[in-house]
Amino acid sequence: MSLSSAISSAQTSLSNYATQTSILSRNISNASNADYSRRNAVLATSLVGAQVVTIQRAQDEVLFRKTISSTSVANGQDTLLAGLTNLKDIFGGNDYESAPATLIATMRDTLSSYAAKPGESTLAQTAVADANTVAIGLRDASAAVQDVRLQADQEIARQVHTLNELLANFETNNKAVYSGTQTGKDVSAELDERDSILKQISEIIGVTTVTRSGNDMAIYTADGTTLFETTARPVTFQSSSGFAAGIDGKAIYVDGVALAPGEGATTTARGSLQALLQIRDEYAPAMQDQLDEIARALIVNFAETDQSATPTLPDAPGLFTWSGGTVPAGATIVQGLAATITVNPALVQSLGGNPQLLRDGGINGAAYVANTAGNASFSSLLDGYVLALDTPMAFDPAAGLSASVSLMDFAADSIGWLELNRSEADSAAETREATRFRSSEALSNETGVSLDEEMSMLLELEQSYKASARLISVVDEMLQALMAAAG
Amino acid sequence: MKVSFISNLALQNSMRLTISRGQSEVNQLQKEIVSGRFADIGLALGAKTSNSVTLNHDVSRLKTIQDSNALVTQRLSASQSALDLMADSAQQMLEAFITVNGSDDANNLLIARRDVEASLGSFTVAVNTSSNGEYLFSGINSNTKPVEDYFEAGSTPKAAFDATFLGHFGFSQDDPLAGGITVAQMDDFITNVLEPAFSGADWTTNWSSASDTNISSRILGNEVVDSGVNANAAGMRNFALAAVIGIELLDSAIDSEVRTAVNARAIEYAGQAVTGIDNQRSNLGVAENRVTKANTALASQIKIITLHLGDIEGVDAYAASTRMQTLLDQVETSYALTARIQQLSLMNYL
Repeated sequence: MSLSSAISSAQTSLSNYATQTSILSRNISNASNADYSRRNAVLATSLVGAQVVTIQRAQDEVLFRKTISSTSVANGQDTLLAGLTNLKDIFGGNDYESAPATLIATMRDTLSSYAAKPGESTLAQTAVADANTVAIGLRDASAAVQDVRLQADQEIARQVHTLNELLANFETNNKAVYSGTQTGKDVSAELDERDSILKQISEIIGVTTVTRSGNDMAIYTADGTTLFETTARPVTFQSSSGFAAGIDGKAIYVDGVALAPGEGATTTARGSLQALLQIRDEYAPAMQDQLDEIARALIVNFAETDQSATPTLPDAPGLFTWSGGTVPAGATIVQGLAATITVNPALVQSLGGNPQLLRDGGINGAAYVANTAGNASFSSLLDGYVLALDTPMAFDPAAGLSASVSLMDFAADSIGWLELNRSEADSAAETREATRFRSSEALSNETGVSLDEEMSMLLELEQSYKASARLISVVDEMLQALMAAAG
Repeated sequence: MKVSFISNLALQNSMRLTISRGQSEVNQLQKEIVSGRFADIGLALGAKTSNSVTLNHDVSRLKTIQDSNALVTQRLSASQSALDLMADSAQQMLEAFITVNGSDDANNLLIARRDVEASLGSFTVAVNTSSNGEYLFSGINSNTKPVEDYFEAGSTPKAAFDATFLGHFGFSQDDPLAGGITVAQMDDFITNVLEPAFSGADWTTNWSSASDTNISSRILGNEVVDSGVNANAAGMRNFALAAVIGIELLDSAIDSEVRTAVNARAIEYAGQAVTGIDNQRSNLGVAENRVTKANTALASQIKIITLHLGDIEGVDAYAASTRMQTLLDQVETSYALTARIQQLSLMNYL
């Protein structure tokens, strides 16, 4: 062993320490970057005995997968909860001020006051005005439900666009990782980038990943459709320009396969797309069905019947009517009825109608007049309307609620149905958010930067650097002494 | 070599979830303590929300019935006091008839007739009482005055009586020829001609515009009562019949024997009028009683439902305050810990 080899060894050490320090400083500068994985510059001895630095990237495949899957789950649940909350907002606040149930109850109370004093025309006007509020409420609610669907549809279009961009980025990145790995370059930065893209993708759609030789990664959706394999697969979606009851939204196709909507309030949706589909295609249409049934029940309950001794004429719309202008027969949902329900203009004073016809009957002609004598305190028709609101009637089971309940109960059940789902979605969102938090915390603990650790390593490097430098100066002194002795 | 098990990022974020949860719950509890109900009833109750909605609507329905019961009570007591007046008039008329029983003295008869006229007058006023914009004794035809005024010029009932008399006997009641009417003839007239004109359909043509159907009111969710009586009741008809006999026949130019018979019939009808009106009073009394009971039932139903609503959507203020205190402590601890943790760095010791 010569002095020159000692000095060259010390030089190598110095250069290694420099590399390690630069890695350390990069670690420190990325201490707050959630997408950054800690690098470790490890000293190793090469085959020929030289000391070399290899850079290792901290990773934990299992924790990473858990993080992206819990991200998908939590994001899907959050999106569903937001959609359900939007639907709930249609019903108003804590007292459900604008829910059909509340509006109908108010109308029932006014009708009941009117029935107690049928001679008073102002009460008739109030009753008709309240009925108008009910009709407007139903139309508004129906429009709002369809608006929720449209918003969801547009959000899907935006997210599909983002997803395609992310997949394109992923493709570029994956190529860089793959070729870098092949040529033996340090691909840590590219891997960080790829993981970060994957996290963003998993917010939109649930993914499973397969890492193959050469660090090449393939992505599949949770139900097995290929999203990315060597190249990005197209995710296609055509947004709709508007929605109405009975109009279905278009499906999202991943590589030609339709993406299924999530199911249940504790949703099976992985990522926001499936949850948005669930809102657009399941919850909002179900709520529309219920609104339509409420509107149909109103028209049926207030329909006028032929009062002749031998009735021949069919029932005709009374207080409430709709664009169809008939009384819907049978307990079947009439799609979009809630969107066109109105108060019969024959009862609206400002439209030249007579509100007192509500008491007497006969909106649809003389055969329907119940108060033939024109008595001012004739209350049996009004009382009948009030009672009918609380009498069980047939509803379409397809609306998802009881098939035989009173209109008041049906309307209240509609609120119960929504709140059941929202409350379940909310508690699921809470636990799923916690899971996401914990798993990303665990991943961060595993792959993130600890400043303390970096600092202590820096101290260690500093000491080693000093030692190497000292070594060089000692060798220098020795050489000088040798020179002096020789000189 | 990795020696640490916690990253700086995780360290900084560790309290984040605790603090944000704590803060949102503090906010929620604040609302609950102030309002006494859940901050978000739907989230807290889930499917049971429909129950809370229905009960709230039930309360408002019951309160509406309570309000309309006040109207019913008012209508019933107004009817009751008008019937009081009618009963007094009937009694007064009966007494007038009894006073002149067997008497043929023109003065006495005239006084009796005046009494009967006064009775019929006050009866007409009473039966035409209107309250709160409704004629009380019109049945459901409440915007029409129920009984015609007999003394009005050109009054239909007066004309109808005159025509009936003339039609039967061929001369008017004031005609001297009336002196020739026998007891049997007069009896026949009163029983077979005059009485049917009051008890039959002629009553509604000549006298009354009232509807036979009484105003009915729902005083409980499942109970309906007649909240009035109408002028077509037997008592009212008999009153009018007795009065008409008293006014038109008693002091007419009839034979003394016939007069006695007429008076006897008048007493009979006046007696029936008193009974009939008393019957109606007791009917109304029953209705009043039912309304009172219904109001008691309503009040207790409202109380029960409100209590139940409190159970469903109410928040225990003490529990909420205690929880709030705990949460505040927890959040403060989190703040303190976060601050301490932020200071915890090797940098400070190098």
